[in-house]
Amino acid sequence: MRKFWVLFFMFWPIAAIVYSAMSPSYHWWFPGASVTDLGQRIDNLFYLILIIITVVFIGTQIALGYALWKAAHNDDDKAQFSHGSHNLEVIWSVAPAVILLFLALYQMDVWRDFRVKAYFPEGTIETPIAEVTARQFEWRIRYPAPGKKLQPKPQPDDLYAVNELRAPIGRAVMIQLRSEDVQHAFFLPHLRIKQDAIPGQIIPIWFKAEKKGIYELLCAELCGWGHYKMRAQLTVEREVEFQGYLKKLQADQNYDGFPTSDSVAKKEE
Amino acid sequence: MSVRWQSLIAVMLAGLLAGCGGDASKVRFAENSALAKQLLPKARKAVQKTLDEHFGAPLDSVAWLKLPVNYGKAEGTVKSVDGQKLSVEFNKEASDVESLMSPELARAGLLFTSGASVGKQVLLAKFDPKANVFEALQTLESLPAKDDTFVAAGHFLRHGRKLYARHCQHCHGVSGDGDGTTAKYLYPRPRDYRLGVFKFTSTGSFPAPIKATRDDLKRVIAQGIPGTYMPSFVPMLKENELVAIIEYIRWLAMRGEIEKGLITELKGEFSRDRSKDDGIDKALETYLAETYPNFVNEIAGEVGEKWSGAEEEGTAIIPKKPRTPDTAESRHRGKELFLGNKAKCVNCHGPAGRGNGPMTEDFQRNPATNEVYAERGLFDAWDQPIKPRDLTRGIYRGGRRPIDIYRRIYAGIKGTPMPGNSQALSEAEIWDLVNYALSVPYDPQAPKSPKPHSVAEHSTDHGHAN
Repeated sequence: MRKFWVLFFMFWPIAAIVYSAMSPSYHWWFPGASVTDLGQRIDNLFYLILIIITVVFIGTQIALGYALWKAAHNDDDKAQFSHGSHNLEVIWSVAPAVILLFLALYQMDVWRDFRVKAYFPEGTIETPIAEVTARQFEWRIRYPAPGKKLQPKPQPDDLYAVNELRAPIGRAVMIQLRSEDVQHAFFLPHLRIKQDAIPGQIIPIWFKAEKKGIYELLCAELCGWGHYKMRAQLTVEREVEFQGYLKKLQADQNYDGFPTSDSVAKKEE
Repeated sequence: MSVRWQSLIAVMLAGLLAGCGGDASKVRFAENSALAKQLLPKARKAVQKTLDEHFGAPLDSVAWLKLPVNYGKAEGTVKSVDGQKLSVEFNKEASDVESLMSPELARAGLLFTSGASVGKQVLLAKFDPKANVFEALQTLESLPAKDDTFVAAGHFLRHGRKLYARHCQHCHGVSGDGDGTTAKYLYPRPRDYRLGVFKFTSTGSFPAPIKATRDDLKRVIAQGIPGTYMPSFVPMLKENELVAIIEYIRWLAMRGEIEKGLITELKGEFSRDRSKDDGIDKALETYLAETYPNFVNEIAGEVGEKWSGAEEEGTAIIPKKPRTPDTAESRHRGKELFLGNKAKCVNCHGPAGRGNGPMTEDFQRNPATNEVYAERGLFDAWDQPIKPRDLTRGIYRGGRRPIDIYRRIYAGIKGTPMPGNSQALSEAEIWDLVNYALSVPYDPQAPKSPKPHSVAEHSTDHGHAN
C-alpha cells in the first residue's frame, strides 16, 4: 500500500509533463507562431518562464518522490517535530525572490516596446489607423477618411465598420481602444495582444503584423451575458488592398442609390 | 461521515439527471394572451388549436406551405448505396445548396421522388457534408438505387430554430414576442415580431406599409443597431446561418400576425363579455365548423401575400435623382424644411434636432384604438414610450448612408410616429433634409445664410465619395 501511494503521487507529475510535451503537436498550444515580432519576444519570455518552472517542478517532484520512496522502506525512523529551520526559510525565500527579480528586470524592454508610448514605432502615434470601440456585444470601428488623420472626435467623413478591423501588412500601426459601456478586453491571440478596454479611457495599442491573413478578434473579459458574441476579425492585407478597402467603405457609406453618384451629379451641373 | 458524502453525491447526480431530462414536447410558443384573453374561452382554444396545427411547437415545428417562407428544399440524386450509407449529389442549381452544409439536414430526412422507395422518407442519423454521405437512422426497407432522386426539406426551419435559440431568444423570446429573459432590462425593448412590423426597411409605406425584405433583416443582423442593444452577428454567423435565421424570424412574424388576425376576427362576435348571451356557444360552434376554416386560409393568404410582396422587384426605395451635393445651400434649405410647416420635423425632433419637440410634451392619440394615451409623449405600435431621435448624437439606428436617411424620411419608420413623406415632399427636398440631418452633429448651428468658403469645403468633402 505504501508503494501504491509513492506511485500514485509520482504518476501525476509525470502525466503532466507528458501532456505538456505533447501539447504543441496536437495544437493545444499557441494558435500558431506569432504574427508579430513583438509577439515572438513575448512567446520567448513565456518559454523562459516555462523552462524555469519546469526545472523547479521536476526538481521538487524528484525530491518528493525520493522522500516518499525512502520512507516507504523505512520502518525504524519515526517522524520528528521540528520548529523550522532558519537557514532553510532564508533559502526558499531568497531563491524565488531572485528568480522573480531577474524576470522583472529581464522582461522590461519587451514591456517598454509594447506599452510605453514614447517607445512606440515612429509614426504610429501621430496617425492611428482606427478607433475601436467595444460595447455590449460588438466592436465598432471608426477609420479616418483616406488621406486624413483620425481625430479624437467623430468627423463627417469618418468611415465606420463593425466587427471587422483591417490593417496593412508589414507596417507598424496603432489603434485607439475605447469602451462604450463596461470593461472589455481586446484580444488578438495570433498577435499575442490582450488589452483591457476601460470606459472613459482611450488606450493606444500598436502592432506590426508580418503575415497576411484573417485573425480572430475576441473579447477576453467576461462583459455580460452576450460576451461570446464579441467575435470579430482582424484582416491583415497588403497596403494597396487596405487602402482599397477604405475606398470601398467610403463608397458604401456615401451610397445614395446611385453607384456613380458623383459623375452623374457633375454632368448635370 | 463517508455515508453523508455518498448521499450528497447521489443528490447531485440526481439533480444532473433531472436537468437533462426536460420534456421537449411541453415546450410551446407563448400565447398572445393580452389579445387572446378578450375571447370566449372556447374561441381562444380554437385559435390555439389552429396555431398548433399549422406551426407546431418550437422543438416540433410544422412547415405551413401556404406561407412564403423558404423552409429549405434541396433536390439531389443517389450516387451509390453501401449498407446504411447513401452517397448523394445535390442539384447544384438549388439556390440554398449553401445551407446543406448545416448538420441539421441530417435530422430532416430525405423524401424519395423516384425509384423503388418513391414516396418514402428516410430519417438520417449522420451527415458528412464534405463527402455528401448520409447514414440512415432506420434500416432501409426497399433500398434506393443509383440515380434515384430525392428532396430534402425543412432544414432551414430546424437550423434557424437552433440558431435563434442560441443567439436571439435571450432577448426576443421563444415566440418572437420580444419578451426574452433579458428583455426587461433593455431600453429600447427588443423587437416583438408578432406585429410583422420591422422599423428599418428599404421598402415604401404608401399607400400601405410594405413588409421588410430578407435583405433588410439581413442588414440589421449584420450591422446591428447602434444606440440599442442589438449587436452585429457577423462574422460570427456565416452566410448559410443568416439565411436560416432570417427565414425563422419571418416565420415567427407571420405566426404572430396570423394569431392576431384570428383573434381580431373572432373578437367581433365571440368576445369574452358575451359569454352570457343566449345561444353563443351554438353560434360559435357553427362558426368554427363552417366559416372559420376558410377564414384561417384567407388570413394566411393575406399575411403571406404581404411578405412575398415585399420581395418583389422594385419594392426598394431608390430615388430617381442622386443625392444633392452636400453644400451649405442644400443644408440651409434642409434646415428651413426641418423647421417649417411642410415637413414638420421640428414638432418631434425639436428646433435644434435634440429630439425634444413639442409633441413629446403633449398627450398623443393611439392611431390603432383612437384613444388618448395615459401619459405624455410619443408611443410606438407596441405601446412602448419612444423618443424622437436626437440628431446631434450622430447615431443612426437604421444606417448612416445617405440612402438610409433618405428612406427613413421617404417612408417613415414603420411602427413609430415617424411618418412617411413620399407624398408631402419632393425628392430634392428630401435630399436637402438628408444633407441637413447628416450635418447636425458637426454643425449644430447650420448657417443662417450660406457662406461661400464653406460651400467649397463641403463640395470637396463630397468629392471623396466616388
